Amino acid sequence: MRKRKRLRFEHEPQGLILNSLVDIALSLVIGFIVTIPLFFESGIFVNAPGVAKAGASDVSDIKVNIHLLDDGAILLNEEIVTYQRLTELLPELLARSVERKVIISTEAHVRYERVITVLDLAKQKGAGQLALLRSRR
Amino acid sequence: MKRMANIDILPMACVGLILVLTMMILAPLVMTHTQTQVDVPKAHTSEIKTEENLTITYTIEGRLLVNDIEILPEELDQVVAEELARDPYQLVIVRADKDVLHNDVLEILASVKKVGAKRIACATKRPKDD
Repeated sequence: MRKRKRLRFEHEPQGLILNSLVDIALSLVIGFIVTIPLFFESGIFVNAPGVAKAGASDVSDIKVNIHLLDDGAILLNEEIVTYQRLTELLPELLARSVERKVIISTEAHVRYERVITVLDLAKQKGAGQLALLRSRR
Repeated sequence: MKRMANIDILPMACVGLILVLTMMILAPLVMTHTQTQVDVPKAHTSEIKTEENLTITYTIEGRLLVNDIEILPEELDQVVAEELARDPYQLVIVRADKDVLHNDVLEILASVKKVGAKRIACATKRPKDD
């Protein structure tokens, strides 16, 4: 009986091909790097509340003081304005201000969301610093 | 032809892959403290900081949590001071429900500032249309 000669490759493959495994691992790592910021909280940075001081400031700069009232009204530098008017006036005032600081104070029963909306608006219109003011009790 | 001895690296690759997967699952749990569901306000201009932080959560029911551990309001100063003693420049994030009173949040912010926090942020989420 004639023996069939076994075919042999000149270069036998050595070990396993890990390319696909490495590709999957690399894809997972990239996916991880891309998605990790989504798990972190985003936020608006604020200067924590200070107590209102009496007397004028030494530095003369254009002031942007916003006061929110319980009934929904907004005071911009002591004058009542609508939200629409506030969006128009804020960029003008901030453009003339050196510090571009917006100070926000509220009455006792203002919802937190309203304050964040105004903070967000101020930031959008170019505010450099956002400060929350707490009235002295 | 002399055969070369080779090392089977497949088990090592598998272990590496499992470690990557474990890290992917555990990292968000360890590095963030957002297990308590709070409906934070929406903002277009929020910044994301991927760093270890101290998270103070204030729910609509008035519960106060520091890094997802519930505390009494009078304990806030002490707990935050202990955390900040380790790193005074640690970012403090206040996650408050959008429907709570702003004055309550101000009290929290004032306490945090009083014990020496240098960087404070109000947590927000981006609107879906962004």
